Amino acid sequence: MAVSHNGAADSLLLNKISKIFPARGGGGEVTAVNSVSLTIQQGEFLTLLGPSGCGKTTTLRLVAGFELPSAGQILLDGKDITNQPPNKRDMAMVFQSYALFPHMTVFDNIAYGLHIRKLSRSEIKTKVESTLDLMGLRNLGERRPNELSGGQQQRVALARSLVMEPRVLLFDEPLSNLDAKLRVQMRSEIHALQRRLSITSVYVTHDQIEAMALSDRIVVMNQGQIEQMGTPDEIYRRPVSRFVADFIGRANFQETRAEAMMNGEATVTLLGQKMTISVAGSPKAGDTLVAVLRPEALKLRADSSLQPALVEQAMYLGSEVEYRVRINNDTLVVVENDPRASHIFAEGETVGIDLIPEAIHLLPK
Amino acid sequence: MLTQNRYGAEIRRILQDPILTISLIFVILFVFVAIILPILAMIGASLSEEGRELFGHYLSTNAYQSIIFNTLVMGVTVAAAGTAIGFLFAYVQVKVNVPFKRFMHLIALVPIISPPFAVATAIILLFGRNGLISKGIFGVRYDIYGLVGLTLALSLSLFTIAYLNFKGMLQALDPSLEEAATNLGASKWRTFRTVIVPMLLPGFAASFLLLFVEAIADLGNPLVLGGNYEVLATRVYISVIGLHDSTAAAVFSVILLVPSLTVFIIQRYWVGRSSVVSVTGKPTGTAQQINHPVVRWSLFGVVMLICALIIAIYAVIFIGSITKVFGVNYELTLDHFNFVINGYGSEAMTDTTTFAIIATPLAGILGMLIAFLVVRKAFIGRGAVDFGTMLGIAVPGTILGIGYLLVFNNPITIALPFVGDNVPAITLIPKLTGGRAVFGGALAIVIVYIVRSTPAALRSGVALLSQIDPAIEEASISLGADNALTFRKITLPLIRPAFLAGLIYAFARSMTTISAIVFLTTPQTRIMTQQILNETEQGRYGNAFAYCVILIGIVLVAIGILYMTVGSSTGAERSLEGGT
Ligand SMILES: Nc1ncnc2c1ncn2[C@@H]1O[C@H](COP(=O)(O)OP(=O)(O)OP(=O)(O)O)[C@@H](O)[C@H]1O
Ligand SMILES: [Mg+2]
Repeated sequence: MAVSHNGAADSLLLNKISKIFPARGGGGEVTAVNSVSLTIQQGEFLTLLGPSGCGKTTTLRLVAGFELPSAGQILLDGKDITNQPPNKRDMAMVFQSYALFPHMTVFDNIAYGLHIRKLSRSEIKTKVESTLDLMGLRNLGERRPNELSGGQQQRVALARSLVMEPRVLLFDEPLSNLDAKLRVQMRSEIHALQRRLSITSVYVTHDQIEAMALSDRIVVMNQGQIEQMGTPDEIYRRPVSRFVADFIGRANFQETRAEAMMNGEATVTLLGQKMTISVAGSPKAGDTLVAVLRPEALKLRADSSLQPALVEQAMYLGSEVEYRVRINNDTLVVVENDPRASHIFAEGETVGIDLIPEAIHLLPK
Repeated sequence: MLTQNRYGAEIRRILQDPILTISLIFVILFVFVAIILPILAMIGASLSEEGRELFGHYLSTNAYQSIIFNTLVMGVTVAAAGTAIGFLFAYVQVKVNVPFKRFMHLIALVPIISPPFAVATAIILLFGRNGLISKGIFGVRYDIYGLVGLTLALSLSLFTIAYLNFKGMLQALDPSLEEAATNLGASKWRTFRTVIVPMLLPGFAASFLLLFVEAIADLGNPLVLGGNYEVLATRVYISVIGLHDSTAAAVFSVILLVPSLTVFIIQRYWVGRSSVVSVTGKPTGTAQQINHPVVRWSLFGVVMLICALIIAIYAVIFIGSITKVFGVNYELTLDHFNFVINGYGSEAMTDTTTFAIIATPLAGILGMLIAFLVVRKAFIGRGAVDFGTMLGIAVPGTILGIGYLLVFNNPITIALPFVGDNVPAITLIPKLTGGRAVFGGALAIVIVYIVRSTPAALRSGVALLSQIDPAIEEASISLGADNALTFRKITLPLIRPAFLAGLIYAFARSMTTISAIVFLTTPQTRIMTQQILNETEQGRYGNAFAYCVILIGIVLVAIGILYMTVGSSTGAERSLEGGT
């Protein structure tokens, strides 16, 4: 992906950033981030998503200034901040472990950065109190962090960053220490807050649902490099690689052959049906392609004219039924989204399988 | 390119922050000038032509070989006895169901403040030829001088290190391990042998080695209790004080330095690494205690006997200070105290206390600062800075003292090249030791106090700091604070327990140290421990004991003040444990 250089609305710009660490405990080196370039627009919520160890945290720490890049530049509002120390960058970070100051009250935690900015006492009081209100912490100002629940601690951590009204807000897996229910709730709170305050945000997670729910744009990383960058919808529906398709959501992969190519569309035969669909890259007729079949792109019907499939497993999950069906030597996952409206097939039944061409995506092999 | 990648960015980052840069340069200079340089100078002096001859002579002569042998034997016996006593106290404290645990704990801590010579002198008065116990009770004229007396005095003075070590380890042992062993049908004794002892093996090794280093470096006890049993430390002392032969002193010092440093390095890089007691943080279940009546009461009896011995020693010190002549004339008198407080000793008392008061906060802060730099900042040579700081205590005090005499007895100057002879040379470091030094040698003494105390502060700082999530400091920086402010507002408050421990240790150590300053005192600057030595050598035990009692009093008051000022809890420690 190219870096846009017009950039009036560009807030943050990473230009071919790399970070090489000496390997922990021994010789050699680890390339944690490998020539990453991206731009983040003013007010945008951008998520770095990828498996463990792919370099998300390192990228975020480079932006924050806790690490210095081995190569590349970082620009904030057009100004080169590559070598600026972290305390001089107009950014605030929310940590996975919250990193609250255990020896200070909630109020003092939130006021800490304002004191450093040398705001007057009354100003600090007003700002901290309105932030406490905003975060639903009104009566907790005098408590210490260890007297708060996990969710409250998380709110204080967020409040402490928000009160600084930074140009950029950085999050490193802020929700991963919360239990599932609280995580969903905090997710929607962060979403609402960010949209309301429209603070440019960079968010790190390895949870694809969280990424989809929160982001304007997602950057999928793999082994220190950007694998794909786009809106949640683009990433989900038009993954550029098998890695992305597999990492985001559930997917069945079927190898197939491009029988003909025309205008970036390939004619292929999938589950006995011939169809013409768009394909990423520029393969030639006769090339092998990989079809990404999302579970919801497949439908089971009691129709013997369709490709037959054997139901190996049927799991009723309330809002959906998840099937595992066997076709020849392949096992496919099929999700039926509205179990009430349709018949639930039993394990051992042979059914017909149909597919929705618009929901299928082709990748070059 | 490779190394540049590794450290280049980090160094640039440090250089961006002037306060950090200055602290780092200061720390490196401190380690080099105050610790490494004197040691190197001392080694250098021993390697002069004259020194090399002496090496050959000493190493090949029977009399000197036996001094070396004596030193090592004493090191081993003290280390073994001290480790055993320390383990016994810790085991009974943690694992055996006996009464008076609090009392035992306090008695085990008492030797932390043992003024030099006091324990040795008291032992002579209790167990010597005319000893209160040996002659008075058992009616024997026992000769306590030599290895037996030294082992007794030193192991009773040093076992606290081992005790605290083992106590921490035993408390951290996950009880479920023992429960598992018991579940598998192991008896208590079998559990002890097959589970507890192997788990503590690194602890035994560490205690043994630490005590060995402390024992062979000790000067006070062999001077008083040695008799014909000569060791290297006393040889060094006699060479300087009696014979004014600094080359011989340097040669003996280097011979003493070899086992000290070897053991220190073994303990640091071998034992220190392998000590992996399973500290799970949140032990499940409660530790089972030993209830077997025979085991229980016999252990109790032994511990109580040792407690009684310690109490007897300190009682002798106290009674000796308020009676005319201990063992001869028990008429009460305040003469000894009068001598110390209003007479000849008053200057030593106020000077020593002043120096200790100056050195204590400096050592405490320096220890925390070095801990912070070593744990949190990646810079080339941080291992060397840590190691160099630790040398301050690993090296026997006498060696440091001689090094100071060699390096700082004259101003260190640099003559500018290419300017005429009439331009005076620039003084880098003024004369620090001897009567006409800046502040009459006081500066050198304060520096030695700091050098000897910083290592303990550093270790407790490192231990605590590595348990604190670095994200807490990063959060402060991310909110706009620079390194200095973060250190002051966040790091220091969070490592306050370590800071407090470091301060207490620094004050107690400074007040009681003798070997490192014995060569640095001058007629202008008198030090209490030096005066205690003088009085002991003159046989005026009453005065010596009065010094000791006052010294103990000062240390106790200081500990109280430190607890009240630095130790007041704001809950930081608790919330750290709470795991925010
Ligand atoms: N200070 C460091 N020294 C050496 N290697 C490091 C350091 N920090 C990170 N790495 C390595 O760089 C790679 C990327 O690490 P990073 O923490 O950025 O991953 P991540 O994507 O955040 O993973 P996770 O989801 O597990 O948090 C890993 O291989 C990691 O081991
Ligand atoms: Mg991470």
